[in-house]
Amino acid sequence: MAVPEWLLESQDFAPPVDKDGFINRSILSFMRLLSLVRAQERRGGGLGRLAVNPFFGVLCTLVLIVLVSLSTQLTFVYVVLAYLLVLLCVMPVRDLIATLRISLAVALITALIMLPSFLLGNHYSIIVVPLKVLVTVMAVNILARSAEWGRIITALRRFHVPHLFIFILDITLKYLVMLGEFTLTMLTALKLRSVGKNRSKQTALAGIAGTLFITSREMAEEQYQAMECRGFDGEYKLYDKFRFGLADAVYLLLNVGIVAAFVYLY
Amino acid sequence: MHIPDNYLSPETCAVMGAVMVPVLAVSVKKVKEEISKARMPQLGIGAAFVFLIMMFNIPVPGGTSVHVTGAVLLAALLGPYSAVICLTTALLLQALLFGDGGILALGANTFNMAFVMPFVGYFVYKLIRGRMRSEKGALVGLAIGSYVGLNVSVLFTSLELGLQPLLFHTAAGQPLYCPYPLSITLPAMLIPHLTVAGIAEALFTVAVFSFIKRVSPGMVFEGEQESRGTGPVMGLVVALVCLSPLGLLATGAAWGEWGAGEISEVVTDGEALGFVPLGMQEGFQFEALLPDYSFSGLPEVAGYILSAVIGAALLVIVFRIVASLVRDKSAKNGAHNATQSE
Repeated sequence: MAVPEWLLESQDFAPPVDKDGFINRSILSFMRLLSLVRAQERRGGGLGRLAVNPFFGVLCTLVLIVLVSLSTQLTFVYVVLAYLLVLLCVMPVRDLIATLRISLAVALITALIMLPSFLLGNHYSIIVVPLKVLVTVMAVNILARSAEWGRIITALRRFHVPHLFIFILDITLKYLVMLGEFTLTMLTALKLRSVGKNRSKQTALAGIAGTLFITSREMAEEQYQAMECRGFDGEYKLYDKFRFGLADAVYLLLNVGIVAAFVYLY
Repeated sequence: MHIPDNYLSPETCAVMGAVMVPVLAVSVKKVKEEISKARMPQLGIGAAFVFLIMMFNIPVPGGTSVHVTGAVLLAALLGPYSAVICLTTALLLQALLFGDGGILALGANTFNMAFVMPFVGYFVYKLIRGRMRSEKGALVGLAIGSYVGLNVSVLFTSLELGLQPLLFHTAAGQPLYCPYPLSITLPAMLIPHLTVAGIAEALFTVAVFSFIKRVSPGMVFEGEQESRGTGPVMGLVVALVCLSPLGLLATGAAWGEWGAGEISEVVTDGEALGFVPLGMQEGFQFEALLPDYSFSGLPEVAGYILSAVIGAALLVIVFRIVASLVRDKSAKNGAHNATQSE
């Protein structure tokens, strides 16, 4: 069979460039979300023997944030910074870099926001507020990167958060991945299929969000049916073993030191 | 929109957190009435949905893009009470695990984005939908509702931030938290949302809603029975109580509310009055139970809120008693008329 002539003709097709920055940015934020969730799933036991009981992690981080927020002493903020940097030293290097990058970025943005106030003669905010923001973001990131998220959520149980709410949080975290992957596929399809100018891209974005909702409702219905088939009657009980090891003792001791420093400097 | 920690004072965060406790309790109760206990997992999936919606970048004129919140969209799709729970869950996860928004500021963030935005938006949406009973009416209501909801929420955010330098500063007057007063935070936050982000949010909300309505009409929340409930009015009262510390902004007494000690400083045409009128000097001095809305041992803000709570509660009690008296009278009249006509 002879090859048709039109197939042999060389073509020079250059599709017109279209603005699709918003699709790229959406895709990027979904990828970032999914990689964050996957990273914590792989974490498993986290730091192994150095892992701290997530209950103490959440409790101490909360106390730390309250103290930093209350403190008017710059020295205290430096003490907390030193402590957090020591914690960072024992973290895996990937988490260390990520934590540093995000906390420095947020602190820098805060400093930029505070700049006009500095020019107007306010010398307190430009140093203290960004420093406090740096310390707080660092503390939360260290907590989030030191344990599996499911265990952090379970730890909230000990703060008397109702079972139902923990159950909802648990489901949210699981479906964040499933629905996130689903949306990422749709966004990628939209990007690949929009060759050249595509005026209906914005409309397509609404379609993606709408399909996301319909799929989420279908998944919710399936989840409900599957749970009911297995005997779920609406009661959700959590069983977690409370453990206390050497790492917990050291961690608590360090935090008692922080509280003591706060009281001493106050 | 997500306020990080240390922009707000811990005191502000505590007040906002305390406000959210009853809101969440009522929402959980309402949702339990609307959906069975076993169907609760769908709230988790709703939270995942709204979490992901917040990650969408929507193009706006000028080549950039903005994020949407999807709060009013969720309220229209699932009902406002479910929306409160889903949004609170999503905001908690963002603060605790993704470092987006502060942990202490969670109370303020949930108040603005998980309570004010869906409720105000849903109320406007329902009001317009009720007046214009057509497909178009629902969409117009949703567009205005999401625009208004977003901007009222931004208004609250900028009020919370703008009040910080006034209420919390060092002895030397240097602000401890957000250093910008209301005159800066209000325009800086409201203008971009009134002009660009609000319109993007409204367009996106309407587009997604009409898509879902077209493809799968059965999935949209139809709303409870229309009733002339006191919900919105009570909501307004609660909002005003929360806003009462704004009174601290006003220096001096309100016009015409001068005390005997203040009237001599009243300035007219550039000149102070300079004396206390005799009638005021020797007249009856009323010592109120809550002088100048302050209580010894309580910070000024808490004093203001406490005064507002007491005042609002007293007014509601008086109105209820008066209303019940009027009702009794009209019921009696009705009964009287009925016996007369027999």
